[in-house]
Amino acid sequence: MVYALTWIPFFTALTLLFVPENRPNRLKGLALLGAGLPFIICLILFFSFDRAAGGYQFRSSLPWIPSLGISYSVGLDGISLTLCLLHALVSFAGAFMSCRTSDRTKPYLFFYLILTGAIYGVFSCLDLFFLYLFYETTLIPLYPMIAVWGSRNKEYGAMKLTLFITAGAVMALFGIIMLYHTAQLQSFDLIALTEKLRSTPLNKNFQVWLAPFILIGFGVIASLWPVHSWSPIGYAAAPTSVSMLHAGVLKKMGPYLILRIAVALLPQGVQHWSHVLAVLSGIGILYAGYAAVRQTDLKFMIGFSSVSHMGYILLGIAAMTPVSLAGAVSLMFSHGVMAAATFAVIGFFYEQTHKRGVLDFGGMGKKVPFLATCFIMASFASLGLPGFSNFVAELMIFVGSWRSFPVIVGLAVFGILITALYLLRTVQHVCYGPLRGSWTELKDASGFFQKFPLVLLLGALMIFGFWPRGLLSLIQPAVASSLGVVP
Amino acid sequence: MMPELKAMLPEWIGLAVLCWMFTVELLHGDAPRDPKTKGVYRVPVGGLAVIVLSLLFVCGKKAAAFGGIFQSDMPAVSMKLFFSAAAFFLLPMFRKYFTDAGPRLSEFLLVFWICFLGMFFLVSSRDFLLLFISLEIVTLSFYIMTSYAKKDTESIEAGLKYLILGSLASAFMIFGISLLYAATGSTAFEAVRVAFTADPQNTLMLIGLLLILSALGFKIAAVPFHLWAPDVYQGAPPPVAAFLAVGSKAAGIMVLINLLSDVFGAFEPGRKMLFSVLAFMTILYGNLGALVQTNIRRLFGYSSIGHAGYLLIALAANPQDGYAAAFYYLMAYAVSTLTAFYVINITVQAVGSSAIADFRGLASRSPWLAGAMFMALLSLAGVPPLAGFAGKFFVLLAAVKAGLTALALTGALAVAVSLFYYLNVVRVMYVDESIKESPVPITLSDKVILTVLMAGMILIGFYQSPFLQISLRAVSAAK
Repeated sequence: MVYALTWIPFFTALTLLFVPENRPNRLKGLALLGAGLPFIICLILFFSFDRAAGGYQFRSSLPWIPSLGISYSVGLDGISLTLCLLHALVSFAGAFMSCRTSDRTKPYLFFYLILTGAIYGVFSCLDLFFLYLFYETTLIPLYPMIAVWGSRNKEYGAMKLTLFITAGAVMALFGIIMLYHTAQLQSFDLIALTEKLRSTPLNKNFQVWLAPFILIGFGVIASLWPVHSWSPIGYAAAPTSVSMLHAGVLKKMGPYLILRIAVALLPQGVQHWSHVLAVLSGIGILYAGYAAVRQTDLKFMIGFSSVSHMGYILLGIAAMTPVSLAGAVSLMFSHGVMAAATFAVIGFFYEQTHKRGVLDFGGMGKKVPFLATCFIMASFASLGLPGFSNFVAELMIFVGSWRSFPVIVGLAVFGILITALYLLRTVQHVCYGPLRGSWTELKDASGFFQKFPLVLLLGALMIFGFWPRGLLSLIQPAVASSLGVVP
Repeated sequence: MMPELKAMLPEWIGLAVLCWMFTVELLHGDAPRDPKTKGVYRVPVGGLAVIVLSLLFVCGKKAAAFGGIFQSDMPAVSMKLFFSAAAFFLLPMFRKYFTDAGPRLSEFLLVFWICFLGMFFLVSSRDFLLLFISLEIVTLSFYIMTSYAKKDTESIEAGLKYLILGSLASAFMIFGISLLYAATGSTAFEAVRVAFTADPQNTLMLIGLLLILSALGFKIAAVPFHLWAPDVYQGAPPPVAAFLAVGSKAAGIMVLINLLSDVFGAFEPGRKMLFSVLAFMTILYGNLGALVQTNIRRLFGYSSIGHAGYLLIALAANPQDGYAAAFYYLMAYAVSTLTAFYVINITVQAVGSSAIADFRGLASRSPWLAGAMFMALLSLAGVPPLAGFAGKFFVLLAAVKAGLTALALTGALAVAVSLFYYLNVVRVMYVDESIKESPVPITLSDKVILTVLMAGMILIGFYQSPFLQISLRAVSAAK
C-alpha cells in the first residue's frame, strides 16, 4: 500500500500522456484522481497506524541491487506518516489549484503528478539510495514548472532554485556515500544502519567531519540561513501550486532528511555542530522576519516568512531533545499546511488581478469575504495563535530548546513579534480599509472546486489545533526512538 | 571448425558485408546519386543484426585466433555488443543526415563500416601491433567522416584539426610501442606483461606506457589531450560527432581498461595518482568550459570532456568496482548522448543552424523532440531516475571505496555546475518564444527510436541491477 503512494501519481502521469490535449476535463479528472487516491490511502494509513506499537509500520521491501545492499524498502513511522499526511493534504489541494492552469495544461499536470509521486517516495522510503533518488527526482519537474508557467523573473528564479538545491543535494550524496562506505555494513538500509551505528557509533572525529555535508546539503532545501536566498525568489516566480507544494512540503524534506540521516546516524557530529546550527537558525528567524517586514510583494513576504519559520524548525532540531524535535516535526506539519493555504489565497488574487503588492489591495474583506477570511485565518495560524496547531508546535520547540540555547530561544520568541508585525499589517492592508484599486472584476472563490482546497487545508489546521494528540501521539514516540531514547 | 573462424565469426560477417559494399561502390562508383538498390542501407542494418546474433553465439567462450594476437573474451564481446547497439541508432541518423542533395550515403556507410570493424579488432587485440593498426583504421575513418560535409568549411576545418592532432597522438603511440619492444623484444601483450610485472620500475617501459596512455587520452578527450574535441564536435556532421562520443570514447576506455588490468596491472600506485590528476583536470576543464558555449554541438564537445573526467575517476578507483562503474557509465552516457544527438541531427537540419538560441521554442514546434532532449540533458547532468545518475552514482561509490574522497567530492559538485549549462538549453527550448511556428517534422520511425532511447534511459537509471551485472561481467576477465 505504501508503494502505491508513489506509483499511483507516476502511473497517472503516464496515462495522462495518452489523453489528447483538447480534452481538458478528462485531463483534470485524471490529475485529481492521481492526487486524490494517495490522499485517501494516507488517511487510511493514518487511522490504521498502531500508535501503541510505534516504530516502523506497513513495511515491505524489494531487493534491488543486492550486491551493494540496496533494496527498495518502504515503511512509515510517526514522523514520516505525519509528513505523508501533510503532503497528501497539500498535494490534493494543489491539484485543484493546478487544474486552474489554462496554458499547456497537459504537461503542467504531468509534471505536477511526477512531483507529487517523487515527494511521497522521499517520505516513504527506508533506503538511503532511494531516499536520494526520489529527492533528486523532484528537480525534473520543478525547473520547467517554474520556468515555463511561472511569473515575474521566472527564469532566474527557477535556475537559482534548481542550482542551489542540486548543489546541496550532491554534497549530501557525497555524505551518504561516505557514510555507507565507513559504516562497513554493505547496506543502504536506514533501519539496519541506525541499529548498527547505535550499537557501534562511528569515530567521533569522522562524524564531526561528515555531519556538515548532510546538514548543509539538506539545509539548503530547508532554507537554512545563509543558503536560503533561492527561496523567496523561487516562490515568487513559481506558479501557485508549485509554491504551495514547495513551501508546504518540499522544504520539509530538508529537516526530515537531516533528522533521518544526520541526527539518527551521526548524533555526535550533529551535537558538535548544534551550536552553529542554532545560531544560524536564530539569525534566519530574525533576518528573514525583518526582510519580510520590508517586502511589498505578498509572495516575497510569505517566502521570507517561510524562511523565518523554517528557522524555528531547524532550531528545534539543533536542540536534539525529544520535546524540541517533536515540536519541530509538528511545526513542519502545521507550517506546511498554513503556507500552502496562504499561497493558494494569493494565487486566487494574482490570477485575477495580476497584482500581488501589499498596497495594491484593500478592503478585500468586503469584496471577497471568503478569500479574505481564509487569508486572515492562515495568517493567524502563522502567528501561532492558540487554536491552530502552530501554537503547540512552537511552544514545544521553545520549551525543548530552552535548556540548550536560552539566548537564541529568547531571540526566537522576539521573532514571533516580528511575525506579528508584518502579518497583522498585511492583513490590515489587504483585508480591511477602503477598497483600493478598481477590482470590480475580482470574484470570490465560489463553488466546490474553488473552495474545497482552502477548506481542506484550513480545516486540517483547526482539527489538529484542537486535537494536537492526534499528531503528537504519532510524533513523540517516533522522535524519541530516532534519538535512541526509550519513550 | 578452425579457431580463426570460430573466434572471429562476427568479424567475418562484418567483412562479408564490407565486401558487398565495396562491390556496389565499384559498380556504381561514378553515379552521382546513390545506386537505386535499397540494399545500400538495408544490408548494413541486416548485417548488424546477424553480427549481434553471432556475438551472442561466441559470448562466454574464450577463444583466440592468429596465434593469440586476436582474442574473443567476455570484455571484448560485451564491447562489440555495445558498439553494435550504438550502430543500430547511428545508422538511421546517417540516413537522415545524408539526404539526396548532399554526399552519397553509400560511400559514407562504407567508411563507417570500416571504422566499426576497426573497433571490433581494437577491443580484441592482444598484441600492440594489431592494437595500433586497428586504432589507425578507426582514426583514419574518423578523419574522413569528420570532414564529410565537403561544402561546409567548419567540417573541413574540424577534419584537418583532428588529423593533425590525431597524427601526433599516433606518433606517440607507435613510439611508445617501439620503446616497449626495445625493452622486451616483443609486441605481444603477454610478453610485455611478464616483463613489466617482473620489473615495474623499468624506465624504458614506463616511458613507453606513458606515451601509449597519452595517445589513448587523446581518443577519449582527456585533459591535456582534449584540444581537438570542441572544434571537431562543432564541425563534424552531428551523427559523426555522436559516433565519436559513443564509439571512439568507449573504445578508448575499453583499451585503457584492457591495458591497465592486464598488461600494466603492476602499474601501482602510479595508476591511481596519474588518473586522479587527469580526472580532476578533465572534469574541471570540461564543465567550466561548457558554461559559456553558445553552440549546441560545441557544448557537447566540452561536455564530452567533462564525461571523460568521470570515466577517468572510475579508472583511478579500485579495479573491480571502478572498471564495472566505467562500463556502466559508458552505457548511460551512450544512451543519453545518442538521444541528444538524434534530436540535434533533426533540429539542426530543420532550423539550419546549431546555435543554442535557434533551439528556442522547440517545445511548441515539436514536443517529442523537446521532451527527448530534456530527458537526455537531465540524464547527462546526472539527475535521477535517468541513466546518467546511476552511472555517476557507481563512479562516485567506486571512488569513495578507493579512498579518493576529494575526487569524489569534485565529481559530485561538478554535477551542479553541469546542470547549469544543460538547463540553459532546456530553458531555450521550453521558455523562449520561437521565431517560427511551423512544426519540426518527425516521422513514425523517429518516434519509435526516440521512445526506445527514452525507455533505455529510464531503465538504465532506475532498474540498475541487471545492467550492473552486465558491467561486472563485461570487465570480469579484465582483472
